[in-house]
Amino acid sequence: MAILALLLIPLLAGAVTALLRSPRRMELVYLLSATGSFAAAVWLAAEALAAGPVTWGDSFLYVDHLSALVVVLTAFVYLVSAPYAVGYLRRDEANGVFDEPDGRPGSHAKLRQYYALTPLFVFCMFLVGVANNLGVMWVAVEGTTLASILLVTFYGRPTSLEAAWKYAIIAGVGLSMALFGTVLTYYSAHEVLGGESLSGLNWSVLAVSAPQFDKNVMRLAFILVLLGYGTKAGLAPMHTWKPDAYSEAPVPVAALMATAVLNCALYALARFYVLAGRCLGPSFASQLLILFGLLSIGIAVPFILVQRSYRRLLAYSSIDHGGIMVLGLGFGGALGTLGMLLHMTFHSVTKPLLFFCAGNAQQHTGTDSLKRGPGGLLDALPVSAPMFLLAALAVTGTPPFSMFQSEFTVLQAGFAAQRTGSVLLFAAFVAAIFCGFFYHAAKLVLGPPSGLSRGESCRWKTYPVIGLAVIVVLLGFWLPAPVYALVEGAARILAVQP
Amino acid sequence: MYFWQDPEFGNKMITLMAAFVLVLQIMMVGQRWLVTSIRAFGVQSFLLASIAFTIAYFNRAPHIYIVAGLTLIFKAILLPVVLERLVTKIEIRQEIEPFVNIPLSVIIAGLLTLLAYAVAESFHRPDETGPASLGHNVLAVAIALFLIGFFMMVNRRKALTQVLGLLSLENGLLLAAISLTYGMPLIVEVGIFFDVLVAALLLAILIYRIRETFDSMDVSRLRRLRG
Repeated sequence: MAILALLLIPLLAGAVTALLRSPRRMELVYLLSATGSFAAAVWLAAEALAAGPVTWGDSFLYVDHLSALVVVLTAFVYLVSAPYAVGYLRRDEANGVFDEPDGRPGSHAKLRQYYALTPLFVFCMFLVGVANNLGVMWVAVEGTTLASILLVTFYGRPTSLEAAWKYAIIAGVGLSMALFGTVLTYYSAHEVLGGESLSGLNWSVLAVSAPQFDKNVMRLAFILVLLGYGTKAGLAPMHTWKPDAYSEAPVPVAALMATAVLNCALYALARFYVLAGRCLGPSFASQLLILFGLLSIGIAVPFILVQRSYRRLLAYSSIDHGGIMVLGLGFGGALGTLGMLLHMTFHSVTKPLLFFCAGNAQQHTGTDSLKRGPGGLLDALPVSAPMFLLAALAVTGTPPFSMFQSEFTVLQAGFAAQRTGSVLLFAAFVAAIFCGFFYHAAKLVLGPPSGLSRGESCRWKTYPVIGLAVIVVLLGFWLPAPVYALVEGAARILAVQP
Repeated sequence: MYFWQDPEFGNKMITLMAAFVLVLQIMMVGQRWLVTSIRAFGVQSFLLASIAFTIAYFNRAPHIYIVAGLTLIFKAILLPVVLERLVTKIEIRQEIEPFVNIPLSVIIAGLLTLLAYAVAESFHRPDETGPASLGHNVLAVAIALFLIGFFMMVNRRKALTQVLGLLSLENGLLLAAISLTYGMPLIVEVGIFFDVLVAALLLAILIYRIRETFDSMDVSRLRRLRG
């Protein structure tokens, strides 16, 4: 029941919104769907926690702890971004962003596009989490790409079309590699499982018989899947679409892409990691994951140090954190997977806060440039500016914030796996990223007063910021027991015994 | 037994058609006119549909008929026609202008084919029957299509030819899916649908962009977003 509610709420919301005319009603449906989805996700997670995997329709949908965690995180980001999106789009409308070139007020078509597409986007992400069939999961990932391409072109500027073009081409190639990998996985399994029924691609079936798969084929399949879903997750060197897409999409969508889509892509990768690990032993997949993880963290360093735009700064930070999660998965074992999933959880809470603050600053100053734009936003934005600084500290892994704990867990896992070289490199990169990120954040917030008028009259945009900041601070000291149980259960699914 | 009932005959036909598919792919790398490229893609998709049809017929896998039909309608007829109309309508220059000159491109395509055979060779098991016995040649062709399609996307300046590269790359994927596994249940059908959807979306962005802003299909001009 909870699974169906989870999938149907955003789907219906999207369909209903496409028929509405009044912007206020669209906002209402959107807010209701976000709240409903979150309630359904929590309900589903509670069921999975209480009684193990929840299934529906002959195991077509399958929700274990790992799925439940990803779904809850997606629903959480959707929930916090919903009120923010309302305020953000109202401000855009007031600024005349949607007006016709000749100055007439624009129609509500743009708003309808946003409020109808975003729930569909979220629906696809939920489907990634709950689909048991690896092919259906691929279809859902491709669905998130399609929906988000349309949202990246939202503003219709030349730069947003350029970003959408790059995103569509790179993600198109990447996802065809992922599909190729899925085909080969099926091929490597079909001698063991036989038959051509739909259940032949069910993860819950494959995971049991994985040790008997054809090893040669599985090796190639995992490489292709890693490249494919790695592209979707924005691992280096397939990350180049990310800064463009994140800086051109509307801020609430960018926040969803930087957290929920990243989680979904890594989730898909992790499912294949379990299959490859059980078939080939953990070391093959681990080496590749560590390589891509370190590369992603490393490539973020120079781009963060010399960055000129704070929206792009956040995108590189997201590449960095995707790398850390993959690194945790690569270190493997109980500790590494725990570190990865804790990091995923904390990142999904912290990153939206950064995006919201950056969005408030951008809408107030009219630019996202770090060089030409006014620094010293503390006076102009008395809420968002200090929260931006707080979130910058949190996201770079400064104690006592929670991301320090998860990064530390990944470090520990690296030492436990006796990969000292990788660990030292990781620590050095993270330190450099802290310096670069904090330098930019401090200049933006603390510099000499900008002389801009005082902003932040809109409650829709400030309350989500305050609420998230409270959660970020709280998480540093207290992780609710059910959340930890969910993360730990999920880590146990991923930990491949050698 | 008549030859049209003999699965061995079917396998030979499939291998032959797969070889033609590969030849067409290399031809697309080796010529300089956009319209010819589009037509080569259309013929390639038609051959792919025929392969799907043959597999469905000889192995009595009725759901592959759906794959054959979808490929024929969307990839062999609809997309080439739309692309060709687009090319004539927007009156772009017809030459393709690759980054690497054409003889060298063809040599690279040949090397990629060798690489594909080297990769596929490791999967070969001589004692196999059924779909896996096809794998030896057809999987190699599929991987070659994939690699050459990727090379075409990197090598070309024009946006439309990048779309064409992506589509032919996905033809390789489709070939692998139907020949190795008799078409994974449901997934391949949906996969084709999504291919076409992505292509349509890309073309829509392209047309919009040409009309509104850049007046050019040269991807190397997309350089505003950097760093």
